[in-house]
Amino acid sequence: MTALFRYQAALLVRSRRLLPPLIVYALFMGIGVQAGQPILDSFAWAGGALLFVAAWLVRVCVTNEPPAARHVAAAATSPARVHLASVLTALTCSAVLGAIGTAFVALITDPRSSDRQVHVPVGAATLAGLVTALACALLGTAVGALCNRPLLRGTARAMLSTIVAAMLVLVADGSPAHAAVSGLVTGSTRGHVTVPLLPLAATAALATAATAIACALASRRP
Amino acid sequence: MSGGIALRGVGRRYGLGGPWVLRGVDLDVPTCSLLRVEGANGTGKSTLLRLLAGIDAPSSGTITGRPRTAYVPERFPPALPFSTTGYLSMIGRVHGLGRAEAGRAAADWLDRFGAAAHARTPLAELSKGTSQKVAVVQALLAAPELLVLDEAWTGLDHAARDVLDQAVRERVAAGGAVVFVDHDPRRLAGEAAAVYRVAGDGRVTAAEPGPLGGVGTADAADTADSPRVRIVAQGPPGATLPRDLPDGSAAPAYEPERGGTVGLTVSAARSDAVLSALLAARPAWHIREVTPVRTGAAPGPNEQPRPDSPNQRPDRT
Repeated sequence: MTALFRYQAALLVRSRRLLPPLIVYALFMGIGVQAGQPILDSFAWAGGALLFVAAWLVRVCVTNEPPAARHVAAAATSPARVHLASVLTALTCSAVLGAIGTAFVALITDPRSSDRQVHVPVGAATLAGLVTALACALLGTAVGALCNRPLLRGTARAMLSTIVAAMLVLVADGSPAHAAVSGLVTGSTRGHVTVPLLPLAATAALATAATAIACALASRRP
Repeated sequence: MSGGIALRGVGRRYGLGGPWVLRGVDLDVPTCSLLRVEGANGTGKSTLLRLLAGIDAPSSGTITGRPRTAYVPERFPPALPFSTTGYLSMIGRVHGLGRAEAGRAAADWLDRFGAAAHARTPLAELSKGTSQKVAVVQALLAAPELLVLDEAWTGLDHAARDVLDQAVRERVAAGGAVVFVDHDPRRLAGEAAAVYRVAGDGRVTAAEPGPLGGVGTADAADTADSPRVRIVAQGPPGATLPRDLPDGSAAPAYEPERGGTVGLTVSAARSDAVLSALLAARPAWHIREVTPVRTGAAPGPNEQPRPDSPNQRPDRT
């Protein structure tokens, strides 16, 4: 499994397909996060951006190898392990992006509430931002795992459903990512920080379940 | 059955309600065995190989046993962002080798296949033949217990084909199992322990054990009255006839002659098998002449000509 993960990570790092999601994430952050803006609002924006990028990265990773190369690795291990390694590679990349984004937000934004009246503790806010980023990365990974090979094939169908599903889990009530992000937004109005640990646990469970389904189907729908 | 793999009642179809590509397949791949899979294009040969390699799961039935497996796809795409050695050492570790071990095995096998000069070449810059060598080398790196070859010889040059033939024999001799598909019927002719034929309806049946396995369907047509063919072949200096030429009740008549030439009189039904064996022998025999022999004029199985027979003139070659 370690060797497979290393192989998938090397594939991703050397792949030209890594660049577009990175650029889009950088653009999102450049547009939505400006120096001097309220810190919690910026974390909320960063979390939403990361959810899309995480789903996209899963697509990049699970379709990164030509089928013949994937078959070679699957014969040596199993199709489920190959799929798991690609999803984990995508999640790791999203988590790293999330950590960098969180640091960027913590450094340049203003640690005050939306109306700039209440001071927000930077440490607690950054922790909440990091947990939100992780929750969004996990839910984005779940969306990516369910909206790509082996469950959905065909570029147009997969991409359209990824975008629609990512939007839905971001805005729908009851979605843990929505809970984490809106928790930051409402916290920002009052200058009050809540670390969204419950949404993090929920997204972790969802990502695990989605990945398990995708991996189980990897050998049935090659 | 440690190290082996067995299919019981295995079927495969893609999508609910799709046609069965394979159905009711019972097949054993014991250790120390070489299996050939035959069938027309599009009959599910590749699907059967992917099931055996564990890349694909059956829609019905069970597969038991999962030896350490390696698979060579028919076409290996060079669209991977690695150098030859970079890819091989990475996939070697996926096969379970250590870092140093993987690097060493990659260098050795590349050398054997005459591709050592391409060790540092990016995969994307390799020729089709060389990238097929990389596909074959990755499978041989970790001495797999089960080697699955889907037309792995296609695209390889002559020398590399011979190296792969030899590597297959080594795997079988070392206790592994090898299953292969190849469009060339002479590929490892007479060496396969069993031949399975995939029919158009997805059924898999055991065909004769190799075209030269001794007990074949040719026997039915092989009587003293059947038409016979005389084959004149010239072997390399000092070479003996391939050991696995057909024998049995209707044995071909062998006539060793001068200059390494041998005349063989065989039933027409078996002539193809004998020709395959001669051509597949290493080093190969050269076929000088194939002529039909009129029934009655040909020596029957019970009156085999002797080399010193006065009515059999040596072939002047």
